[in-house]
Amino acid sequence: MTQELRAKAERLRQEVRDFYATVMPADLRDKAHRHQVLSKEDYVGWMRLLDKQGWSVAHWPEALGGKGWSPLERFAFEDELARLGCPWVIPFGVKYVGPVIYAFGTDAQKQRFLPGIKTTEEFWAQGYSEPGAGSDLAGLRTMALKDGDHYVVNGQKVWTTYAQWADWLFCLVRTDRDDKPQTGISFLLIDMKSPGVTVKPIRTMDGFEHVNEVWLEDVKVPAENLIGEEGKGWTYAKFLLKNERTAGAIVGWAWHVLDRLKKHARDTRVNGVALINQPLMRNRIGEYELRFMALELAAYQAVTAMVDGTENGSEASLIKLRGTELYQEVMETLVEALGAAGVAVDIATLHSAGLPPLGPDDTGGILKDHFYNRAATIFGGSSEIQRNIVAKVVLGL
Amino acid sequence: MKTDLETIGMLRDSAARYADDNYSFQQRWAVLDTPEGYSRKAWSDFAEFGFLALRLPEEDGGLDGDAVAVGAIMEIVGARLLMEPLLASSVVGTGLLLKLGSDAQKSALLPQLADGSLVLALADEDDAARPCVFADGRLSGRKLGVLHGDIAGKLLVSAQDAARGEAVVVLVDAAGAGVSRRTHKLVDGRGAAIVDFDGAVAELLQPESGTRADAALADIRDEAAVVLCAESLGIVRSLVHITTEYLKVRKQFGRVIGSNQALQHRMVDCLLLQEEIRALTAAAQQALAGPAAERTRIVSGARAYVVHAARKVCNEAVQMHGGLGVTDELDVSHYFRRLMVNAALFGNRDAHFGRFVDAALAA
Repeated sequence: MTQELRAKAERLRQEVRDFYATVMPADLRDKAHRHQVLSKEDYVGWMRLLDKQGWSVAHWPEALGGKGWSPLERFAFEDELARLGCPWVIPFGVKYVGPVIYAFGTDAQKQRFLPGIKTTEEFWAQGYSEPGAGSDLAGLRTMALKDGDHYVVNGQKVWTTYAQWADWLFCLVRTDRDDKPQTGISFLLIDMKSPGVTVKPIRTMDGFEHVNEVWLEDVKVPAENLIGEEGKGWTYAKFLLKNERTAGAIVGWAWHVLDRLKKHARDTRVNGVALINQPLMRNRIGEYELRFMALELAAYQAVTAMVDGTENGSEASLIKLRGTELYQEVMETLVEALGAAGVAVDIATLHSAGLPPLGPDDTGGILKDHFYNRAATIFGGSSEIQRNIVAKVVLGL
Repeated sequence: MKTDLETIGMLRDSAARYADDNYSFQQRWAVLDTPEGYSRKAWSDFAEFGFLALRLPEEDGGLDGDAVAVGAIMEIVGARLLMEPLLASSVVGTGLLLKLGSDAQKSALLPQLADGSLVLALADEDDAARPCVFADGRLSGRKLGVLHGDIAGKLLVSAQDAARGEAVVVLVDAAGAGVSRRTHKLVDGRGAAIVDFDGAVAELLQPESGTRADAALADIRDEAAVVLCAESLGIVRSLVHITTEYLKVRKQFGRVIGSNQALQHRMVDCLLLQEEIRALTAAAQQALAGPAAERTRIVSGARAYVVHAARKVCNEAVQMHGGLGVTDELDVSHYFRRLMVNAALFGNRDAHFGRFVDAALAA
């Protein structure tokens, strides 16, 4: 990696820290500090704030309003946000469907959708998984049959994050009944206000409804909402998955929670000795520190390979696997270290703004993250899928 | 110390090519059978290629190689299980002499180090019952586990200076009066020695720069730790390659064992460890030239992680080869044993982990 590129990334990190300190509204900072669940309004406000900084689509080409960020800048940006404990950059519009539209869409589609994605004027959700097609997307069964100038869509999507807030759903559908599993798939943009779209929230163990079932019953979708060619949806989906798997924020999340654990261990005394100086806890934190160092260095190595175009195909999987494992384990230790406070929260009140009955003011938020992060090794390609990919692509097994 | 990438690529390629032609696993059996546990022919070839002068300043005919350059060679040393005293003499011995030797000492010894006529080993680990003491130009005490102490012509010995009450490093003729060596092999086939000094004539290393011996020893131990990371990377890369290929050909129950997901996933974990080792080694090489606190954190952290990770890969390579994995006949067991020695040199995993934790949690 060139010194110039490294310096650029460092400047960007400093800009992000300045932004957090001076631009980010106090209420959002407070919610972030307490790891509170954000409302749709919070998220839309957050994404627009990023847009005002020129950051929401900075990874897009300059001609489309981006800054043409390299993978290194993308990583530095998301990593720094995550370290500060900021809300995540909601990826469905700006990271997932946006690039698909500008890479494969028509001019009319670009003009229609890209501006609203950039400013989060329209909120997007991803319609990939189905009850019979989780990691194995080739098993999807939602049908979109051409009827004149529109498609009629029938099927069911599941695990659809923020579908309850979404204006649009980008969707993998089957446009040919007879084709092989991967060739009959197309990429369709569906207006969530269309008749026949029903959203049923799924409550997760943190008591919140992050994900949904989306039922599609005789939904009429204009043919002009097809991306690219019929039957090529798999190609576009793979392009999108590649973006999904860059896993930029995970390193920062792991850092953030490890930092939180260290603070707690310094502030908490047991039998007169700070937790961080109790041999067993010190050893555990030391192990996490070491694993974090390995993760961070491997992430830089991976990003450098992406910049140089020398990837071997294992890079994104490595970051996701190691990052999510560490994130989960450190979180477990933190919850354990909180002792009685770590279980003294009524799930039904986890998302209210009130203070927890015991422990520091961010205890509820930590628990929320602890529950939610169990999904980190499942979404975006489960750990098992990541290992399958590397075995096949890199090792040739 | 700065070596450009092109030079480093050439060094790596020439070492790899040499190993291909002259140091295959089959050819290596002959080296294992020698009493001295290394190939004199290879050693003089390395001298010719300039590998032995890697650490030397350009004005002394060296390459002024930095940690990256040294690592490039040492990665091949690990990958091909080379037995010659590159680490002991060309990196550690030469490096310590460069830091602590007087101009006269350096100009006397460096040419011999570069042409391979002198093997200079560091005797650092005291026998707790007989620590080394230097007084009036004489050295007494016992050193343990001196890598290549069996073939060294001279020894650099860390000792306590009786008069000044501080650490010093002295130069001793290994065949001199008052020096007795009990030589032995290490589990990987290389030689070592337990060395007793009984009033042996010893020459104090006193650099014009005034560098203190304890600081120089700390530096050289860090440097050795980083070099061992590079060697481990070579070991791990070879094992990942060898084992992956084996999974593709070994058949059981009518299919290659590499088609089993359980083994695929474990092999992927080995590959991930390899990539982490690569990243940590590179970071440790850079950190050597950096500020002291950061250097300790990164170097010892890298060393602790790398030893642990490399050991996991070695264990998996043996396991996945089944019964063959534990045989002497197969190279896998030789990598396993080489890593055992590697892991025991210049501070083990716990020692480096402890140093890392104290540095990382110091804030």
